Amino acid sequence: MSDGPLTLTINGKPQQFERVPDAERLLDTLRWRAGLKGTKEGCRTGGCGACTVLVNGEPTLSCLVLSHEVSGENVTTIEGVAAEKVGRIVIRAFAEAGAVQCGYCTPGFVVALAGQLQGDGTPPSVASLLDGLEGNLCRCTGYRAIQKAVVAAREALK
Amino acid sequence: MLIVSFQLVQPSTPEEAIRLLSRSAAGDIAVLGGGTDLLSDIEQARITPKQVLSLRNLPWRYFRWEGNSLVVGSTLPLRALELDPHVQRRLPGLWEAIRDVGSPALRSRATLGGNLGRCSPASDLIPILLALDARARIVGPSGVREHPIDIVLQESRRTSLGPAELIESVILPSSAPSAYLWQRVQPVNDISQVGVAAAFVPEGPHWRIALGGLQPRARRLSEAEAMLRSARPTHLEMELAAQEAARRAEFVSDKRATESYRRRLVTVLVRRAIQTTLDRMPKAAHPRKAAS
Repeated sequence: MSDGPLTLTINGKPQQFERVPDAERLLDTLRWRAGLKGTKEGCRTGGCGACTVLVNGEPTLSCLVLSHEVSGENVTTIEGVAAEKVGRIVIRAFAEAGAVQCGYCTPGFVVALAGQLQGDGTPPSVASLLDGLEGNLCRCTGYRAIQKAVVAAREALK
Repeated sequence: MLIVSFQLVQPSTPEEAIRLLSRSAAGDIAVLGGGTDLLSDIEQARITPKQVLSLRNLPWRYFRWEGNSLVVGSTLPLRALELDPHVQRRLPGLWEAIRDVGSPALRSRATLGGNLGRCSPASDLIPILLALDARARIVGPSGVREHPIDIVLQESRRTSLGPAELIESVILPSSAPSAYLWQRVQPVNDISQVGVAAAFVPEGPHWRIALGGLQPRARRLSEAEAMLRSARPTHLEMELAAQEAARRAEFVSDKRATESYRRRLVTVLVRRAIQTTLDRMPKAAHPRKAAS
């Protein structure tokens, strides 16, 4: 019914997309227009955390955001997180803890954790970091290893 | 990948929003707060609006204390309240209920105004807002009005707001020891089968009990409140209040729980919510302790 141009700053680079429908979700723009397939579609109703990205640094469920609502804002996906120091440390901690089973939920976990660990100063407590991950579901139920990865990533950043 | 379509309008002033709403036929336009609930309704074609009006650019993303009152702009993400230590200390029941909504990432979008506007019978916020005597400030073509949310809320997805009216802010008149408890199948990202809010407010009658998970929506249970006769009710009074709540509540059986299970839950949760509220009272305010 209606579509127009959309500008987003994705992983630090301004990008323009032509004719983006008003009803399009950020998740779909990222995957299908920007070609960033690291962000996963899980439940599409805000209940699983697989599609977590950072909008202006804040963990956000990209399935529940209309792309035009965040026009001009800064969006960081798993690809952007993986290119930064904090993200690399988190990914390494996940790998070393064996916190990846099928892997589908992993980008959401990594983005949600890296989002909390960014910034200077002492990282938040382990309890607070785990609270921040409570909306991320792992259907393989590999939570013990994920908890270990959280502790390890925090230690590495202290 | 896209089966629905609509036009997104993003007014930046309340006046413009009201004008746009006034011009649209009912059903043609849907109001978008955080979008955590509405967008699912649209995607599943439960509603098919031609236009979606986003409130995101309106200057309503604020909260402030006015004396003892907390005023929350209707489009402020819940996460901002959750991260404020004063909210946690002064309105512990509200803080608790906010933390029970979805997940942190969901709460960075979800709003108080949206939760009221959607008026879900399973809302985790409405019971505590009722218990805390919350009021809604409403703007529309004929100006501003303010009402207790009890008058504004009707049933699922329906409020008493006029077609061009919007909730501008929610006012919590006073800090109060309070608690919100629930039962669910899973603790996070789930919807409560029953929610119980209790508060001890400065203005009498002091004890407030509200239940969620009811049809057509959450409500205060004055019958249960009447069983609590003092600032420090006895165990018997708490038990009677819990039983009265279970007897009076209009529960139904649905996919989340049976009616009888909900009643059983309420007898336990009401007692616990009152006890938790008592435990949160400032020590000096305990009449019995103050007297001794």
